[in-house]
Amino acid sequence: MINTRSVEARLIKNIVFKSLVFSMSFIVLIPLFFILFYIVKNGISAFSLDFFLNLPKPVGEIGGGISNAIVGTLLLIVISSSIAIPFGIFIGLYLAENKVGLLPELTRLCVDTLQGVPSIVMGIIAYAWIVIPMGSFSVLSGGIALSLMMLPIVVKSTEETMSLIPESLKEAAFALGAPYYTTMIKVVIPSSKKGILSGVLLGIARVSGETAPLLFTAFGSPFMNTDILKPANSLPLLIFNYATSPYDDWQSLAWGASLVLVLFILSLSILAKVVIKK
Amino acid sequence: MKKETCILDIKKFNLHINEHHILKNLDLPFYRKKVTAIMGPSGCGKSTLVRSINRLNDAIPGVKMSGNMFLYKKNLLEMNPMLVRRKVGMVFQRPNPFPTMSIYENVLAGYTLNGLKLDKTEKESIVADSLEKAALWDEVKDNLHRKGTFLSGGQQQRLCIARALAMNPKILLLDEPTSALDPKSTARIEELIIELKSKVSIIMVTHNMGQAARISDYTAFLYLGELIEYDSTEVMFDSPKHSRTKDYLKRKFG
Repeated sequence: MINTRSVEARLIKNIVFKSLVFSMSFIVLIPLFFILFYIVKNGISAFSLDFFLNLPKPVGEIGGGISNAIVGTLLLIVISSSIAIPFGIFIGLYLAENKVGLLPELTRLCVDTLQGVPSIVMGIIAYAWIVIPMGSFSVLSGGIALSLMMLPIVVKSTEETMSLIPESLKEAAFALGAPYYTTMIKVVIPSSKKGILSGVLLGIARVSGETAPLLFTAFGSPFMNTDILKPANSLPLLIFNYATSPYDDWQSLAWGASLVLVLFILSLSILAKVVIKK
Repeated sequence: MKKETCILDIKKFNLHINEHHILKNLDLPFYRKKVTAIMGPSGCGKSTLVRSINRLNDAIPGVKMSGNMFLYKKNLLEMNPMLVRRKVGMVFQRPNPFPTMSIYENVLAGYTLNGLKLDKTEKESIVADSLEKAALWDEVKDNLHRKGTFLSGGQQQRLCIARALAMNPKILLLDEPTSALDPKSTARIEELIIELKSKVSIIMVTHNMGQAARISDYTAFLYLGELIEYDSTEVMFDSPKHSRTKDYLKRKFG
């Protein structure tokens, strides 16, 4: 028998528990909004047409923009995506199709480890493998370092969505006489494209803010560069270099660049959510 | 048994999964343009049998098959599974249209997935013809380019039947095709099966004795992987010879 008093006590505990869950979640939002507010407040004043179209100017000259960093960041994203997306989808497919066995488990372990490797280490690896042999800092080496960071995110999201594809769908294709590869390419991959796409977007969001892997790969440059074998600037590198400088106008550019980066990442994250829901 | 043309002749078929003997020495002829029902309690191996005919069991780890399955003169067990599956269509327990494809594309999936090219008029005639055969044409002809998953469960199942029929199979396997459907859709599919037997030989697994009695010409009764009795449906239901069949029909077990 449950008496009335213990029911009341339970109700009170329920209320306490629920409000605890709610207030904790709410508290987490506060620093996020504070960060956003702070960046917007400091960064918005740097925004102008020149800010987006011009190159940075030397110390002492008024104005200057971040166009080379925007182009550099986009180049880095293109390079890292074109490596990480195909590899990520195929590895994810392999892991989703092969749950047990030595090679799948070893692959899964490697992908998990790769996810945990500090980003600076990726930079060192790309430096040793690409920058030293090629004799120059380059966008390419930066893109490869970032692709290593992006790969586990694409693999994980692909594996997770593909594991949710019911066996019956594959059987439907096999029962029609379809070979394995068309079943994968025309049935399984299209059925999981939302999950893959959101993984790709989150992966891009993740790497576009990375600074450490670029310090000795893409390196940074005050000039506009679209040659992937030469060093170039990127938004995080520009922020790193300018924010630590003693000049007010450079610091203001760094705030502006931070705002651009944050808005870019925020919109990618929102887009990823929209893609999943659609 | 009356003299009929045999389309699929199963001889001494055994199936093991690791140490388990799942199907035991089955000898089972299936007749042309007839509906044959395979009945039996859960776990008797009836689904495993039809899946073997379509070679879908090949992928199970540890599976071993022996014996022969002759489709006319060719042994299915020695053919390439992909070729077997083009001659033997299959419809599953739960409707499984491809969610990314439209109704139109679903019907043609057997061709696109096999890389077979068709021109537009061929495509249109196959789609219309197959949906017509599956008694779905009138319901979907104005929405051919909508996703197949918008249809009701019963319509989806008929779409899956149309998809299988589009490949012009010699044999259509139905693995409990109505067990996930409501009574009305079930009745619709049963009518369809009776209409279809003039065009294709049908082998159907069913849990439902009433269904077997209503629509099949022949009935096989399987118990623990053995064929207990096989005869025309009339004989099976009116005067079963074997005591196990009698007990099953009286719902003493199963």
